[in-house]
Amino acid sequence: MPKITVDGTEYEVPEGKMMLQALDDLGLLLTEIDIPHYCWHPKLSIDGSCRMCQVEVEGTPKLQIACNTPVRDGMVIRTNTEQVRTAQRGVMELLLINHPLDCPICDQAGECKLQDFAVRYGLEHARTRDPRRPAKKGTPLGPTIMLDQERCILCRRCVRFCREIPKTGEIGVFARGDHSLLEVFSGMELDNPYSMNVADICPVGALTTRDFRFKIRVWFLEDRETVCNQCANGCNLYASVAYNKVYRYLPRRNDGVNETWICDYGRMSYRTIRENRLDEPRLGRSTATYSAAIRRAGEGLRQARDSGGRIVGVGSAFAANEDLFVLRQLLDGLSAGPGLLVVPTGKADELLIKEEKAPNAAGARLLGFEESSGPVGPAAVALVLGHALPAEAFEGVETLILIDTHRSPLVERADVVLPARYFAEKVGTFVNHARRIQRFLPVVEPVFECEPEGQVLQRIAVAAGLDGFSGTYDPFEISKRLAEEATAFAGAELGTLDDQGQEIP
Amino acid sequence: MTPETRKKIETLFERYPRKRGALLPAIYLTQAEKGYVDREAAQDLAELFEIPPVAVWEVLSFYNMFYTEPQGRHHVYVCTNLSCSLRGARTMLKSLEAHLGVKAGQTTSDGRVTLGHEECLGSCGTAPMLRVNSDYHENLDTDEAKRIVDSLE
Repeated sequence: MPKITVDGTEYEVPEGKMMLQALDDLGLLLTEIDIPHYCWHPKLSIDGSCRMCQVEVEGTPKLQIACNTPVRDGMVIRTNTEQVRTAQRGVMELLLINHPLDCPICDQAGECKLQDFAVRYGLEHARTRDPRRPAKKGTPLGPTIMLDQERCILCRRCVRFCREIPKTGEIGVFARGDHSLLEVFSGMELDNPYSMNVADICPVGALTTRDFRFKIRVWFLEDRETVCNQCANGCNLYASVAYNKVYRYLPRRNDGVNETWICDYGRMSYRTIRENRLDEPRLGRSTATYSAAIRRAGEGLRQARDSGGRIVGVGSAFAANEDLFVLRQLLDGLSAGPGLLVVPTGKADELLIKEEKAPNAAGARLLGFEESSGPVGPAAVALVLGHALPAEAFEGVETLILIDTHRSPLVERADVVLPARYFAEKVGTFVNHARRIQRFLPVVEPVFECEPEGQVLQRIAVAAGLDGFSGTYDPFEISKRLAEEATAFAGAELGTLDDQGQEIP
Repeated sequence: MTPETRKKIETLFERYPRKRGALLPAIYLTQAEKGYVDREAAQDLAELFEIPPVAVWEVLSFYNMFYTEPQGRHHVYVCTNLSCSLRGARTMLKSLEAHLGVKAGQTTSDGRVTLGHEECLGSCGTAPMLRVNSDYHENLDTDEAKRIVDSLE
């Protein structure tokens, strides 16, 4: 492998790569080595249009762009000499020549590379006195994205994204020189299942999502690690949180799962954290206290067991492995046979969207839940997580105990209803379609009383008088046990998983 | 796009290592049909080249010699680069505008002439000059320019 020296430090880099790509592969870019860039993106083709990544290469008279200069052995690179700084100042001046300085009304402010680099590498004042070129402001490009042509610096990241990733190619740059403008083909819209990624990769405020735009200033937000729960892919996310509320999801890079992208459907699912939540325990048609509902559930199970009635457990592909483990324990304690599993399905594509529309079907299967879609009854008691089954499936069930996160027609049918914490409000693990186990961490606190499914089940077990249950739920402890007991989970323990997850055998 | 044009374009493909290389000559062929390439024609080209229509439009809008709107029967383009401007090209262009009753970039209502201006046509030694379609008219003055325009069918 070639050795290169960057600012006096020697690095061994992969062969045959461009400078920026090689440094990014080693995880050095933006951490140890700071080469500013706009148009280069690790997952897109090289454009070389922004000229911001120029560096000095020993033995080469002119500066080279790091995005399109291959590394070779013995290369000596300098990123912060006077020559480089002068070039960066010049580039910034040209990029800003037509940029409207409307940061106070621009939603990108605070996470804008133009702002950042102008402060770090730019001049303090504009030297031009000519009027800035006016262009279209605040025009919808499609159902999800707004375009501000004046702010665009023509890096073409969005153009390349649409052609290379969803391969829909809606966007282009029309005309030439300083007449160039970002546009869609007349009569077409930017409308594909991945469209909102263009707002993430837009380094300036030219492309913003219509959903998040003007909702909150980004400096109030804290990005917290989570994963998407809308399909079996388990794309890695940041949830941007302020005031205990998730304002948006952003893709979190994981080259083994979603690279740097997420689908629009998953992105919009941040709303499910607040919308349509099941927020009160119920007994039949009336509201109940949490403990009364648990008592009633425990009694129902005990009576059924004592009288030899059939008990059926239904797991959920939305529940965490740790919750499902407690359900399995409970069903074992009642000698109820393996729990059933119903996985909602839908359309898939070749990129990220998977057929199974739940995050943990693979984990539930590994835990011994058996797939079924038929009727659950007849039974004395059905203990059900989630609402993947319709109410009709429970015909002939005397007592239906439902532990769920969201409202559904099943709530009307259930005899005992217990609201549970959503994945965004707790810690746990999912196993995605490719058997990668990934952790999720709490990003918000619930706004009404509810507990994780595992906790609810523990309390129900105690109320039913089952041996071996403490009434407390510790997902870390369970995960440790799973890693020890179940071979599929061997070595994949919640406490030691990192933010990239881990493939399991 | 007529089937003939389509066939002509298809024979172009083999001359290039990649299909896309034939886009410029293909646009010329398409433009020859009606004198301009509209949205529908661009879509036909995109289909033929298996690229998004927006990529065709990028090329169309990049070059001066491609038109996306109906053009007059004759293109009268006055060079307004440095040498010609120093020798009175801008005055010449203004008087042609007044004479034809259109601004540079517009077409006369009878569809006879599209007037425009262009940067350096490489004829600085004979400035000022204009081109009518692909013919150069050099060493002009305003009256001569008007006479040339009036002689067009």
